[in-house]
Amino acid sequence: MFEALQYFSISWVSPELMFLTALGTFLGIYVGAIPGLSVTMAVSILISFTFSWDVNSALCLMVGVYMGGVYGGSRTAILLNIPGAPSAIATALDGYPLAQQGKAGEAIGLSTVMSVIGGFVGIIVLAVAAPHVSDFALTFQPRDYLLLGLLGILLVGSLSGGNMAKGLFAGAFGILIGTVGLDPLTAEERFTYGVVELWSGINPIAVMIGLFGITEALSQLHHMDKVAVKQRIDRLIPKWGDVKKYLPLSLRSSAIGVGVGSLPGVGGDIAALMAYDQAKRSTKNPEVEFGKGAKEGLVAPESANNAAVGGAYIPMLTLGIPGDAVTAVFIGALFIHGLNPGPMLMIERPEMFWFTVGNLTLANIFVLIFGLTGIRLFSKIVECPKGILIPVIFLLSIVGAYSINNSIADVWWMLGFGMLGYFFKMYGVPVGPIILGVILSRLIDDNWRRAIMSERGDLSNFFINMISSPLSATLLLAIILILLSQTPIWKKVFKPKNT
Amino acid sequence: MTGISTRMPGEVVFSFVLVILSLVIFWQAYSISGFSSISSPGSLPLAASAIMVMSACFSFVKTLKKPLENHTLFFTHVLPPIVSIILAFILIYSVVLEKLGFIVSTFTFLVISIQFLYRKHFLITLGLALISLITVYVVFRLIFQVILPEGIVPEREIIAAIRNLFS
Repeated sequence: MFEALQYFSISWVSPELMFLTALGTFLGIYVGAIPGLSVTMAVSILISFTFSWDVNSALCLMVGVYMGGVYGGSRTAILLNIPGAPSAIATALDGYPLAQQGKAGEAIGLSTVMSVIGGFVGIIVLAVAAPHVSDFALTFQPRDYLLLGLLGILLVGSLSGGNMAKGLFAGAFGILIGTVGLDPLTAEERFTYGVVELWSGINPIAVMIGLFGITEALSQLHHMDKVAVKQRIDRLIPKWGDVKKYLPLSLRSSAIGVGVGSLPGVGGDIAALMAYDQAKRSTKNPEVEFGKGAKEGLVAPESANNAAVGGAYIPMLTLGIPGDAVTAVFIGALFIHGLNPGPMLMIERPEMFWFTVGNLTLANIFVLIFGLTGIRLFSKIVECPKGILIPVIFLLSIVGAYSINNSIADVWWMLGFGMLGYFFKMYGVPVGPIILGVILSRLIDDNWRRAIMSERGDLSNFFINMISSPLSATLLLAIILILLSQTPIWKKVFKPKNT
Repeated sequence: MTGISTRMPGEVVFSFVLVILSLVIFWQAYSISGFSSISSPGSLPLAASAIMVMSACFSFVKTLKKPLENHTLFFTHVLPPIVSIILAFILIYSVVLEKLGFIVSTFTFLVISIQFLYRKHFLITLGLALISLITVYVVFRLIFQVILPEGIVPEREIIAAIRNLFS
């Protein structure tokens, strides 16, 4: 217990780490708030710049950006009706009407406090549940990891774009990118075409920067003429009565957020929309109608999306499976720093787990501090014209890709994936599953082959054991249900009557 | 972006290219170790590429059934001139980055692209490009110690000379 507390407080007692966490959170709020910049993009670029740093320093900066970014998206959703991040889509539904009524400051203050409450709930659940999940994960068979990996890709594929076939295509494409290079078990060449430089595979960071940096920035060029309507902001500190009144809803929404966030491949955007829907159903007599400035419609998604951060860390740290696209990038960062996320991380490097919990807590406190101050500076920065912002994103993406190995080859890979990602995005192929596929490729490959080898190549035994194990059977059932839920027959039978 | 019930211009060609690409990758995956064993190095690539082929075919058929979205053109709504021009800037920047070095190529890239996208007075563009370049250089080269291509500007000598001035 004492040791855990000691590790927890590492970033609290080191001025350097505290500064980096504060800096990350501050930057994250702006990254999350500025439409066109995404947390995934920022963290991907940051990995390339911080991989030579000490792991704690690099993580402090990235954790801050993640925590701040999830919150930051709400600000532009409230002020400009433009969600800075997908997790703030639900926030705009009632946040913007509140701003139109001249209550922008009140809405921002309330969303800040509720985000922080949600963040704390997520962190508490992470601290309590992760060690148990990790212990439980030690009993997992290779086939369970295989199923979990597939489940993550399927979930993100089915939820991110709405089109299952395109989501599946993207996930499978990501897995293939991850298999390029020498096979880790037999050293046989896969998709290398005799090019020695490809033996070590395609750098996942170059893929990430391309898909999240270049693709996003190119897509933003379509919206150069959008003019945002400015809002006047007065007081930011929310009324104590409001905080007290909406606390039960905030806790309920946080529980949804942390639960949804902890599912592999599902992030804060889905959590926020689900919490909004739950709040709409459970609030019998709202003071203001939902969609017209109901504070409940602001509290629920904001609590849920920040709680989902802690939730997303659970599968990432305990199973090595990303909770969402950002944690997929984090897994890449941990690999680069020589750490192997999964159940053994908790046994071999418990300090990393408690350090992360402590650091998330610190970042959440900084969200509160920065969230309730500096609104004037904020207004100036988010008004930064896209004509200046977009060239700088391209510049950072190129410099970031170059600095991975000081090689122009990584820049070409990054640009190639950026251009491909642009067309994917234009034609509705989600890019999130590609990254999940790249990150999970090794896990799926290793565990598939281990599982088959342990059954001595007998596929029927593999399936019999899968069905006879409660955990494997549950995971298999979940995969089948996801696939079935995308079929026209299912949609016809279970179509909600009111839609 | 593509609609749920309509298709964007070029989507049929794009979907067809995905089918062809998936088939080529499937063939490449097969050539790794064929169907020799289900735990061979080629087993996962083969399975993944098979999923790609199936989903690409499914999407292609679905796309064919969708009507074209009204009043949309490929070079206006999918690849407008602004995207093509910026892509060309980025490609040229990447080509000259190592030869000219970070400072010269980045400054040129920023001036041209900011002037093209922001369309303000040239002096404002010059100032913005210079501020952006200095910020990125100080943060990444001097603080983060990221190695950037030197090219034609003898950066190290200049930095050493500046340090000598202050020491």
